[in-house]
Amino acid sequence: MRRILFQFGSQLRRHALLLGAYFAQYAKVRVSYRSDFFISLATSMAATFFSLGFVWTLFQKVPRLATWRMEEVLFLYGFSLIPFGLFNVLSMNLYEFGSTYIMEGKFDRVLLRPISSLFQVLFETFRIESFHEVLVGLAIVIWAGRRLAHHWTLLDAALLAFFGLCGGVIYLSVFLFLTTFSFWFEDRIGIHPPFWNLLAFGRYPLSIYSSYIRFLLSWIVPFGFATFYPSARLLGRAEFRAYAPLIPLVAAATLALAATAWRFGLRRYSSTGS
Amino acid sequence: MSSAPLISVRALSKHFRTFRRREGIAGGLVNLFHRDYQTLKAVDHVNFEIARGEMVGYIGPNGAGKSTTIKMLTGILMPTSGEIVSNGFVPFRQRAAYVKTIGVVFGQRTQLWWDIAVIESFKLLRRIYDVSQRDFDERMELFDQVLALRDFLHTPVRKLSLGQRMRCDLAAALLHNPPILFLDEPTIGLDVVAKDHIRQFLKTINERYKTTILLTTHDLDDIEELCRRIMIIDRGALLFDGPLAALKEQLLRTKQIKFILRDGEQAPRLAAFEQALAAAPANGALHLERLDELTCRIVFDRKRVATADLIRQILGAVEVRDFVIEDEPIEEIIKRIYGGEALTPEAPASQP
Repeated sequence: MRRILFQFGSQLRRHALLLGAYFAQYAKVRVSYRSDFFISLATSMAATFFSLGFVWTLFQKVPRLATWRMEEVLFLYGFSLIPFGLFNVLSMNLYEFGSTYIMEGKFDRVLLRPISSLFQVLFETFRIESFHEVLVGLAIVIWAGRRLAHHWTLLDAALLAFFGLCGGVIYLSVFLFLTTFSFWFEDRIGIHPPFWNLLAFGRYPLSIYSSYIRFLLSWIVPFGFATFYPSARLLGRAEFRAYAPLIPLVAAATLALAATAWRFGLRRYSSTGS
Repeated sequence: MSSAPLISVRALSKHFRTFRRREGIAGGLVNLFHRDYQTLKAVDHVNFEIARGEMVGYIGPNGAGKSTTIKMLTGILMPTSGEIVSNGFVPFRQRAAYVKTIGVVFGQRTQLWWDIAVIESFKLLRRIYDVSQRDFDERMELFDQVLALRDFLHTPVRKLSLGQRMRCDLAAALLHNPPILFLDEPTIGLDVVAKDHIRQFLKTINERYKTTILLTTHDLDDIEELCRRIMIIDRGALLFDGPLAALKEQLLRTKQIKFILRDGEQAPRLAAFEQALAAAPANGALHLERLDELTCRIVFDRKRVATADLIRQILGAVEVRDFVIEDEPIEEIIKRIYGGEALTPEAPASQP
């Protein structure tokens, strides 16, 4: 048992060091295309501010959504940008997995290297400019919190960081799970797009939706646990308090599910080679 | 055989289930719901052993099962049945540990990072394979000597010529000094000079580090220059495994003799000789071709006609300035094998 733990620990350390090396490799590529980086950052920031502007305009007309004040909805919106930004830093690697890795055969290359295949795919490239979404989200949360006269405790701050991370894991796991379908179905586009559209639903209070959609966003595609339930907990909304302890569990469960699907996908790949 | 083989393959098979795709949009829709499955035997009951330090050429027409075999040997594909033990590992089951001990080059695909300088790829691979800085420097030195990498180490991979990229890919596959190297068409698309570079390098590595090399190729010069042993696969089955010389001995059927006449005056004597050959019952009739005014060629069955006898006959009939005697090109032999010419299946002794 101790041996296994030790091996796991040294593998973890090795992969953490390699993550640094992979990131450095990515940074070298980005530095060699500098203008590309700034254009990409600018467009990505513009997208964030446009969607923010939309929410803002909406609330000039509709000061309340169900029982939710505008500042509360903005708080939720801001919080949702945190896991979203974290997810976007890595998500690029998932969308093209089916076409570049499976159909064009790059996955063979991955299997020939002595490190985890999932690691190699997830960290092949990054979209570091998406990290600005985390920062913008944080600013909105703080601003909305002040408008709501929210008193931040140390626990709140810790929970904010923890829930943000859990949310990122949930997003990543859901999309990773969808990515594994490429092991079975040859398709360039993949099945991400409809789920990508579903992401936006999680940015508004679940209470405004019908019970079907609430159920869907809580227990089928658990984006609610990435954004809504954590925000409700941070805002001190009593009616959703019971969900808060489930957040890390849902994150762990989706991750485990995605990792298992990946393992099955690997088996499938090595028996068919496509 | 003095020691246990480094690679041992027993009754190895890989069967794929494929389905026939129907054409057109309507056909595509039918495909979604109903598929006619067929079993494709990509590799079927293949046996061989490779000893440490051998360089083996693995050839066969497209779709014969070469790549599938390599993919199983490298742990990418799981065999349908049969077993592989390579360098003490079962490739598919112990993939992560096993791949640290092999190097793989796919001629058609690079393993380098496309957008950055070659040296950066080497540095990352050094980390991935846990190669110490000292070993790394020493090997880079050697690779540079044989492959002349220095000139383009700082060029992004996408700007390299195919030959330069191939040299880099080879170096990348050998950074961790693996005892086994698998090469899938390492010289494809390269010019003569680049091919020579690659071959020299493989020879050096093989001599210096006793690296065992299995390479697939369509270029038989690769085989003649590098490999003493050749394995031929077609339609999933191993047709031949043995030394190149044995293949020739067993399958070389014809030879040709070309001769150049001393002068134009020989014409009448030549005509008489031609008729005599066509009529000669002893060795079977031979056909004489005239390639131009002075050059003639006779293709003959080497088992029925002794070359020396034929030369004596020619010299007796006409005055000759020059002779060229050639074996049937190895390409022709292999073409005949692919075409289905029966090889006595168990005859060639597998000899490492």
